[in-house]
Amino acid sequence: MSQTETSGDSLYRKDPKVYPRDVTGRFASLRRLSMFVLLGIYYIFPWINWAGHQSVLFDLPARKFYIFGLTFWPQDFIFLALLLIIAGLSLFFVTAVAGRLWCGYACPQTVWTEAFLWMERLVEGDRNKRMKLDAAPWGRNKILRKSLKQFLWISFALWTGFTFVGFFTPIRDLGQSIVTFQLGAWETFWLLFYSFATYGNAGILREQVCKYMCPYARFQGAMFDKDTLVIAYDEARGEKRGGRRKSDVPAERGLGDCIDCTLCVQVCPTGIDIREGLQMECIACAACIDVCDQVMDKMEYPRGLIRYTTENALKSKKSKVIRPRIIIYALVLFALIGGVLWSINDRVLLRADLLRDRNALYRELPNNIIENVYTLKLINMDAKTHRYTIEIVDNEDMTLSISPEPVLEPEQVGSFIVHIQAPVSAGRGSMELKVRFSTLEEPVIERVVNARFLMPFN
Amino acid sequence: MKTKHPIDRRWNQRQRDWAVVIWISFLTACAGSVVLFGLVSPIDIAGIWADEYEISIQLAYGLDFAFMFLLCLLASALTMYMIRTGPGSGHAKGQGRRSKPQIHDPSASNPDLDSEHWK
Repeated sequence: MSQTETSGDSLYRKDPKVYPRDVTGRFASLRRLSMFVLLGIYYIFPWINWAGHQSVLFDLPARKFYIFGLTFWPQDFIFLALLLIIAGLSLFFVTAVAGRLWCGYACPQTVWTEAFLWMERLVEGDRNKRMKLDAAPWGRNKILRKSLKQFLWISFALWTGFTFVGFFTPIRDLGQSIVTFQLGAWETFWLLFYSFATYGNAGILREQVCKYMCPYARFQGAMFDKDTLVIAYDEARGEKRGGRRKSDVPAERGLGDCIDCTLCVQVCPTGIDIREGLQMECIACAACIDVCDQVMDKMEYPRGLIRYTTENALKSKKSKVIRPRIIIYALVLFALIGGVLWSINDRVLLRADLLRDRNALYRELPNNIIENVYTLKLINMDAKTHRYTIEIVDNEDMTLSISPEPVLEPEQVGSFIVHIQAPVSAGRGSMELKVRFSTLEEPVIERVVNARFLMPFN
Repeated sequence: MKTKHPIDRRWNQRQRDWAVVIWISFLTACAGSVVLFGLVSPIDIAGIWADEYEISIQLAYGLDFAFMFLLCLLASALTMYMIRTGPGSGHAKGQGRRSKPQIHDPSASNPDLDSEHWK
């Protein structure tokens, strides 16, 4: 333990609290816009109705996902898997082109931390005031401000938790349950759990999630190359850094353009010094670019001492945006997105699972007839009621009967008993057969499934 | 002549780490299988899929355990990787340990930044 402590390798050493200074500028505006759009999507979507359902609803008890008029069933699991692959590949693509855009602008950790920081600034003031308040002894002002901040944080976290549960339980019903104190145990648990996670991650842990807990930061190196856009300090231009007056000529004093104001460190939400080079902790929020540009304007130096650039460009080498890995990522991504869209459009809105009765191999009936009994699970995935016809494909020896009559309401799942009979002379052992299900209504929805028919083996 | 110390033939740090990852994953998968399959049959988990391929119960137990072992291995290996590659383990420019960023009042050595905006 002592060895770990002295080497400084422990993950558990106490880091000083980071008080990020507020910043304005092009990238700060972009970050705020991204925050509003993403949080807007999160908080508003559950309240919008679409085609008779909540626009986005993951109805777990009914095992149906509603996403803007599309209904996904457990059998559509492949789409979820493909969606995750697309998300992963998009991350690879975006990272290879422009570095950690995800971390800086779209990651929920960043977005919610930004919202929590905004509330903190609103109540406690900017960096210096917050530092003074934390250092001050507990008094009326400190208690009032800290209490108000906690009230805002907890309310926001609870609203976030409520919205989260609202993606799984119709949000209007959920709201009503809360108002009438009839919220279920599991809903209460998940509401509090997600609220706690939001409060803990965005209010307390903040940059520590990115630095110590997030695996993406550790893998990003594999996605970067020398042509990837990163936020970098132009060392050749900035060094030797040092304080000066605007009227000073830096070259005469042997100085570069960096005035060593340390504002780039003060605005950094992870508390690093970008001038030390590209670091794993940098979430590419570009706050340092904004503040450095302001300082450069003030000093009447050209902007871009800290900027989005590539390693090659920094070394005055030619930088290429279109390169083999980008082309490969883009092609695979395009093919996958196209494939998923085509498959969703081409989905057969009928599902049929024909399961042979496991308790008996077959039944021998009078007149040398062999019968197999099946359980049929039929799902009408359409938004209309359908009556279905069922027939055996290309086998005139076999007859089929079903009970009760296969009629299903929209999105209804029905269970039926199917009897298939064949004369003994039809074959021996296990036989493959195809069963066709189709709707009586136009346009015809049709699906053919394979089944196994067992005959005596001798 | 230099004699090889017995400790040299022992595993190095990476080998030890992987041994721990594999062994702990195996134990966790065993415990997980006992608890899970005490409650549900692996055939029930596989459902239609097992029926279609006529999977035997023994094979279903084996496959489910293997899947659980794989998941545990993945989690353990990722944990090991996260711990071994934590921040502060090196300088961004490969110049040894990184020092804590130094912060000071921007106007301290830059008189033009003395307005309230820069404080």
